[in-house]
Amino acid sequence: MGTVTETKIPIINRRKTLTYLFYTVVFNTIIAIFLTSVKFGDGLVKNFIFSQCIGISICSCILIGLYLVKPKRHLIELFVIITAMIGGSLIGALLGSIATGIHPSIFLQYGFAIRPVILGLLFGSIISYFFISRERISATEAIIQEERIKRLTSEKKAVESNLRLLQAQIEPHFLFNTLSNILSLSETDLEKAKSMLVDLIHYLRTSLSKTRNETTTIDQEMEMIRAYLNIFKIRMGDRLRYNIDIPDTIKDFPFPPMLVQPLVENAINHGLEPKIEGGELSIRGKEKGDILQLEITDTGMGFHGGEDIGVGLSNVRERLQSLYGDKGHLILEENRPSGLKAIIEIPYDAY
Amino acid sequence: MTHIKAIIADDEKQLRVHLKSLLFDLWPDLIICGEAGNGQEALELIEKNRPDIAFLDIKMPGLSGMEVSKRIAGLCWVVFITAYDKYAVEAFENEAIDYLLKPITHKRLERAVRRLQKQIAASIKPPSDMTEVVERAIARLYQKEKPGYLRWLRAQHGDGIRLIPVDEVCYFKASDKYTLVLTKQGELLIKKAIKELANELDPNQFWRIHRGTIVNAHYITKVSRSLTGRGVVKLKDRPELLTVSRSYINIFKQM
Repeated sequence: MGTVTETKIPIINRRKTLTYLFYTVVFNTIIAIFLTSVKFGDGLVKNFIFSQCIGISICSCILIGLYLVKPKRHLIELFVIITAMIGGSLIGALLGSIATGIHPSIFLQYGFAIRPVILGLLFGSIISYFFISRERISATEAIIQEERIKRLTSEKKAVESNLRLLQAQIEPHFLFNTLSNILSLSETDLEKAKSMLVDLIHYLRTSLSKTRNETTTIDQEMEMIRAYLNIFKIRMGDRLRYNIDIPDTIKDFPFPPMLVQPLVENAINHGLEPKIEGGELSIRGKEKGDILQLEITDTGMGFHGGEDIGVGLSNVRERLQSLYGDKGHLILEENRPSGLKAIIEIPYDAY
Repeated sequence: MTHIKAIIADDEKQLRVHLKSLLFDLWPDLIICGEAGNGQEALELIEKNRPDIAFLDIKMPGLSGMEVSKRIAGLCWVVFITAYDKYAVEAFENEAIDYLLKPITHKRLERAVRRLQKQIAASIKPPSDMTEVVERAIARLYQKEKPGYLRWLRAQHGDGIRLIPVDEVCYFKASDKYTLVLTKQGELLIKKAIKELANELDPNQFWRIHRGTIVNAHYITKVSRSLTGRGVVKLKDRPELLTVSRSYINIFKQM
């Protein structure tokens, strides 16, 4: 019942209450027949009336008790139920004696009061146990369902994240287009072809060798980004302008590898490359108290609604979360007058 | 016989230069009557110069090579160029449309050239309706890349517009005509009714559990039944508990 008591929903509702009362009446009848058969009390009719009165009043007391107290711990819940059973037994016995014409003062005598309480506790425990285990079964079923949901989603996530990582490392479009350019330049402009190849090698080596857990510095990471952007500068020509502005004070700050690259890739693939006139990409770093910010801004196509602006982004977000917990953020904003702005925030105090 | 004319469309200049020089080797008589750096230019060039062949890069700004081919169907032969569109390329197999993979090799281009020469010599007309083939290719391409469901939300934040990935949303709550978006970081309001949102979100990930609540299944940590029989959903990153109304409880029962 642990899961149930955590909820803030009133425990009593009409349908459930009626179900409980119905079962209680059935049990009471069985108890009356049982007691009569073992020659207890003054015959079936009186036993029936007494057991109905005691049973229903115990059931009511338990429901009202749980409703009023709303216990959060098992021990308190148990205490409420036992108190309600004792109280309910006494009230029920009193009502029963009125109904059968026995003078209630009889309960002032020691022996008479103890009997309904013992019987109430005995049968009440059995019936409560029945109800509680019923609730437990449905609660357990719910837990099994939760586990299944959890397992399915986490399995799916792991597969997706591995795929994304693989894709981020060698994006086929990028690779084949770049190789095409190098091949072509090797016939027309050998120097340019060489420098493009050097940039490609630099980019590939850095991006492929870095595992997710290593750290590098902002400066080293920017060098890799420069190589990447140089490649695009050759490919896109005047359509791409870029600048990187990192103050000296934060150059050597430790930084996770391949965190900026997906954002730059995104800005080019979804922002600038699809735009006929191209645009500008700028990367700016700054410290803001105990936060380090890296802004990647493009003046490209921006956000248009349903389209996917990059699977790489969720990867970045997940990594920030696992590296810095709640202190790492990726914020995405619309840039004015056009394009997107991605902001990475990580704690600066760690340095 | 008049000279055969062709245009080349690719947003990367160097690649146009490359193809041009390869074509010069393989087909010296071919006249390149124009070069385009984007889809719109390509379309205009084709309509103006009426070439016999158009080499179209698939991924171009403005209009994609496929869009261009759809509009100029019948006007000329099309050869698509692509760096890597495995799915799209599959759609062209066994079709009258040829394609080249980047980097374009001498050998592969030669095959394409011979094929074009044969078709033109035999006075075969280029396919007059490429819509079906191209749509199939586009469908294949986007089936892979686009889930079709809403992935980002635009929400006012301070002076600017912030973009929130739907994956980050713990749940949505109706708030009059607008919808409250609740994430780990806090809450934002978007100008869209929850009813409208429900149709745009991936139903496998976003479950309607109440008339005014849509929950992201990835954030559900616990679903329990209260004594009253109502379902209660507990979430990761959010303190509140959500109630499942009776009419929606079935989504949990089916699992």
